[in-house]
Amino acid sequence: MSRWWQGRARLPRGEGPWAWLAAGSVTLSVALLALLLGLLAIRGLGHFWPGDIALVTLEDGRQLAGREVKEVPLPDGEGRERLYRTGNRELDGDIWAWVPVAAIETVSHPRELVSLERRHWGELVGRLVAWVPEQGPRLEGEAAWSALQSRLGTLERQREALERWREQTLSPLVRRLESGEADAAATDALQALQARLRERRAAMAGDRLILATADGRRLVQPVEEVLRATRPNAMGVLAKLGAWGRGAWRFLSEGPRAANTAGGVWPAIFGTVLLVMVMSLLVTPFGVLAAVYLNEVAHQGRLTRLVRIGVRNLAGVPSIVYGVFGLGVFVYGIGGRLDAWFFADTLPSPTFGTGGLLWASLTLALLTLPVVIVATEEGLARIPDRQREGALALGATRLEMLSRVVLPMATPAMLTGMILAVARAAGEVAPLMLVGVAKLAPQVPVDGDFPFLHLERKFMHLGYHIFDAAFHGGDVQAAMPLIYATALLLVLVILLLNLTAIFLRHHLRSRHGTLSQC
Amino acid sequence: MSQPSAVTPLRHRLRQGRDRLATLLITAGGIGVIAAVMAIGVFLVVEVVPLFWSAAGGAEVSLGVLWLPQEYPGLEAPVHRWQPTLPASDPGPRFGMAPLASRTLEAAAWSLVIAVPLALGAAAHSALFMSRRLRAHLKPTLELMEALPGVVIGFVAGLVLAPWLERHLGFGLTLVMLLPPGLLLAGGLWGRLPARLRQYLPLGWAALWLLPWMGMLWALALWLAPWLEAWWFDGDLRAWLETSLGLDYANRNALIVGMAMGFAVMPSIYALAEDALSGVPKSLADGAQALGASRWQTLWRVVLPAASPGVLSAVMIGAGRAVGETMIVLMASGNTALMTASPFDGLRSLAASIAIELPEAAPGGTHYRLLLLAALLLFAFTFLVNTLAEVVRTRLRRRYRRLGGAP
Repeated sequence: MSRWWQGRARLPRGEGPWAWLAAGSVTLSVALLALLLGLLAIRGLGHFWPGDIALVTLEDGRQLAGREVKEVPLPDGEGRERLYRTGNRELDGDIWAWVPVAAIETVSHPRELVSLERRHWGELVGRLVAWVPEQGPRLEGEAAWSALQSRLGTLERQREALERWREQTLSPLVRRLESGEADAAATDALQALQARLRERRAAMAGDRLILATADGRRLVQPVEEVLRATRPNAMGVLAKLGAWGRGAWRFLSEGPRAANTAGGVWPAIFGTVLLVMVMSLLVTPFGVLAAVYLNEVAHQGRLTRLVRIGVRNLAGVPSIVYGVFGLGVFVYGIGGRLDAWFFADTLPSPTFGTGGLLWASLTLALLTLPVVIVATEEGLARIPDRQREGALALGATRLEMLSRVVLPMATPAMLTGMILAVARAAGEVAPLMLVGVAKLAPQVPVDGDFPFLHLERKFMHLGYHIFDAAFHGGDVQAAMPLIYATALLLVLVILLLNLTAIFLRHHLRSRHGTLSQC
Repeated sequence: MSQPSAVTPLRHRLRQGRDRLATLLITAGGIGVIAAVMAIGVFLVVEVVPLFWSAAGGAEVSLGVLWLPQEYPGLEAPVHRWQPTLPASDPGPRFGMAPLASRTLEAAAWSLVIAVPLALGAAAHSALFMSRRLRAHLKPTLELMEALPGVVIGFVAGLVLAPWLERHLGFGLTLVMLLPPGLLLAGGLWGRLPARLRQYLPLGWAALWLLPWMGMLWALALWLAPWLEAWWFDGDLRAWLETSLGLDYANRNALIVGMAMGFAVMPSIYALAEDALSGVPKSLADGAQALGASRWQTLWRVVLPAASPGVLSAVMIGAGRAVGETMIVLMASGNTALMTASPFDGLRSLAASIAIELPEAAPGGTHYRLLLLAALLLFAFTFLVNTLAEVVRTRLRRRYRRLGGAP
């Protein structure tokens, strides 16, 4: 190897080979980051796109209909095979079909292929044969399709009305009965209400669809089970964009279905946001208090320096250790004691003696306390001493100096600290697994029931949702698009929070930069 | 005249009293908060002590049971086993923590093997070579990487990267072997470019214009991989590993964990190392360059020795993070408690054990206390490492001040 990097005439200042490796490591890091974010964005956003349904005819004459998922080389290296997502779990026992590419005769995209999204059994792919309403004539062809569409619209409105009615009328009564404060009249009322619920449910059922799968099997599908019906092959780009937007909105606004492998993530978003809000309410005042003590009140000696280093280092302690502390002290210690004192009548089923929103927020608050303390202290240290001296010289007491001069100037720093804490807390999952996150929380921690915010309840969380769908769900392949979308959402939220913190800090620096110059 | 003088002492005393009260409250609150944070270590120690020493006499477990191979009924040779939930009567729980601790350290070591060169290279480049405009954008971007949640990285590593690498093992190896020489080649070619062309591709922007070059290397590796596998590894690297080296390639293994954790740890090492390197007083670097040193020589001989404590502390903080990272290990490691050293085997780390087993362990039981011992180990390790790093960094700051640079 010639030493080409050393000072030849053509190379006035060679930097040597290592400089290039260093440059390459920056490039590699940027490339990896871009790859990760790109993967999440493409897969996560693509999840809502109504892809075309392919009708595949095999060499032996069999047909199948489904969406192409991926194509990989066969294990023996000869040829490739494709994976189709065919739906129809109740017929085939599986929603996937592997097809060797060599065995495919033709692939077409007929417009009449229908995709039904159902409450149970997942997706159904096939042709619409007939529409058989409870009353009225049997319809076929295009008429059946339009009848189905209008019926689905009515059904959705009915479902929403029923849900509202149940929440407003039925649930409060049930809760009153459960807490044991209602009498016999209430029991009767409940039975009447439940009978009405059954009645209204029955009114929604009755209509039926007859469908044929790609390989010709007939299937009767109760319409009440169907959530949505689309014909993706017949949709134009604009219609697909509309469907994409509606899909994304449903993902954000609906609850999960099918053991967290389908549906939306609304309860998880709600749980994450609520957790983080309660946590920041807890952490900000205490963090600021500790920072003010350390920076303004405490004697600046060796001990304070040691404490400062200790606090700083606690930011590097693994989050799972905080989770252990939360479980041992908050849940088993304080929670168990609270249960023994105030909720003895419900024991042995614990109220506060098990993981819940309060303990999870407290644990995260402890975890992020060092972040807030460090950021606030940084802000306090940036305030020039002559501001304090000026205030004191004008006759202000220390409290007045702090509350009128120092703290207002340090507000951006406190905000930065809070946002950094929120960003750190939003991504933490490990400690939550010990102190109260739930795979599926039947009750949201906020409702119309006194005291409205139920801190002892378990909650769902976006990060834990990812972990759970990826490792505890049945069919990971089916859940993958949903996990991508959830991961993208989580990353976006955290990036947004961090960017806000960066912006605030920049603002703070430039403001105090001018202050110390004048 | 007399009226104001009567009011003023009263108001004055009131203000003084309020001030004293507030100071007292702040002091009490501040000390309380700090004590609460520090209580973690105390709690863990108090809960762990009964394992080894109790007033009634006799320990629940001895150190030997935890860290040395044990004879278990039904097994021939003494082995390390972590099977804490086996029924108490027969054959009895097994509490060998050595597999957990050793594999935790191994995974952290692999992640450092990947993260340290990347982070230090990136730090050196962005502190000395990168154009100022690019650096103003790239540095915050790389630091934002630090905020990526572990659960997302773990998901991508465990469910995307692991199955992909299993199928493309040969390609992965080819790419890793091709990257360094490929980058050196880029440097060599750049040196031979006409000076006019070189102006359009300055070294300060190399981080960006090397991206397409890296894409070409990727394509080249894709083309070369089958040949390489056929020549060296009889056509299939995975089969070759199994037959020639006796290494079983598990789908999720220590190497995958190392890569994912390396990716997660790299930004924090980068940020601290970059701060240390760019904090070196500029007069030193200017002096070296004025004496004719190239920028790389300046870095290697002047800047790096001056900043070495800061770089070392950056690496230590990275190590602390890697040891305690939970979600990535949980999702990318397969969670099998094995006592091996093979990077291609699954592993179970201390943190992952805590996350999985603690909710099921009965409070106060031996298993519970052992998991708390694991937490204590993690706490002590990270706390010590971070304290050491902090002390080193304080020294460094003092040294810079002495060298007459920026504070």
